[in-house]
Amino acid sequence: MSSRTVKPVRIESLLAGVLNVGTWLASVVIVAGLVLSLFKRTPFPTGAQVITAGIGLFILLPILRVILMRTIFVKERDYKFAAAAAVVLLIIFAGFAIGILSK
Amino acid sequence: MNTGTELWLFAVSLGASALGGMLGMASGIFIVPVLTMFGHVDIRSAIGASIVSVIACSCSSAAPFLKGRLTNVRLAIVLETATTAGALSGVLLAGTIPASYLFFIFGMILLLSAQQMLAKRRDPALAPTQPLTGRSTTRRLDSSYPDRALGRDIAYRVERLPMGMMLMYGAGLISALLGIGSGVLKVPAMDTTLRLPIKVSSATSNFMISVTAAASAGAYLVRGYIVAPIAGSVALGSVVGAILGARVLMSISNDRIRLLFVVVLVALAAQMFLAAFGADFFRGTA
Repeated sequence: MSSRTVKPVRIESLLAGVLNVGTWLASVVIVAGLVLSLFKRTPFPTGAQVITAGIGLFILLPILRVILMRTIFVKERDYKFAAAAAVVLLIIFAGFAIGILSK
Repeated sequence: MNTGTELWLFAVSLGASALGGMLGMASGIFIVPVLTMFGHVDIRSAIGASIVSVIACSCSSAAPFLKGRLTNVRLAIVLETATTAGALSGVLLAGTIPASYLFFIFGMILLLSAQQMLAKRRDPALAPTQPLTGRSTTRRLDSSYPDRALGRDIAYRVERLPMGMMLMYGAGLISALLGIGSGVLKVPAMDTTLRLPIKVSSATSNFMISVTAAASAGAYLVRGYIVAPIAGSVALGSVVGAILGARVLMSISNDRIRLLFVVVLVALAAQMFLAAFGADFFRGTA
């Protein structure tokens, strides 16, 4: 095994940690929303709003993952891969923009 | 939306994602047919719910692959430029394609999945690995992964990247259009075009699915395709299903389940074709 294979392990365990924590967080928020929606007359945040927040967290999670990867690639002076990550981010934001424009 | 419906949707999505999880597929391929047929959800809301569950599945199952160094994160980010671009095109198309076409394409994808499941996957441990003759300095995509069966690291190279990128664009497009992870398209593309070991293909494809789905999920959320109670139940069901599915997979022998799945996939495909040619038969698909 060459020394080159050692570095990526750190990126990978970091990404694994973020994805795990994010999944749990989003799931807990959705559960809370589902429980809230069992009660018919709830004040402001309604069940549906809390569920939407949880869904939003799920959608943000991969975006956060790409931002994190870009940061790591920049730090490691891996500019080609950092650029690829930036392109991915731009495309995802373009998706949001299209959604708003075509609403 | 009453509580009974939510419980039903939750149970249905749990079942669908456990099914998917058992064979290492994203749950979307079962969720859309099940929601439209048994839940009488209209196909766009089903796709919206499914795309969220696809993100949930991909994120919740990524960690073990990353820690096992099966995921090639550099290759993933390069291919993601193509899959997200495809997803963007899919979002643009989605608003214009009639529901009956969506049902038809979905049926085709289900048949493709069934066919893939029947085909025997070659054992990665026995596949000949070509020795690395030169260092790829231009693209730092080549890597190695630890193979448990062989007890050593196996080096691999990434080949024919441009062709792979084109196929990934197509996979991204289908993913956005149908709300599926389209691992069913990504994995064979990586196997045959990039010539990656099967374990690396599966892990990297799974890793890329969430980002691909995020590109269309944002637009669908804003457009109102993502109905909170449905998508929330389905997403939660997917997380539970993915965890359960992985457990079940380890304890049951493969071949019989595989056959059962082929039958289920073909049946669902037949239903989708029926829906495609008589869309008014289903509620809310007009």
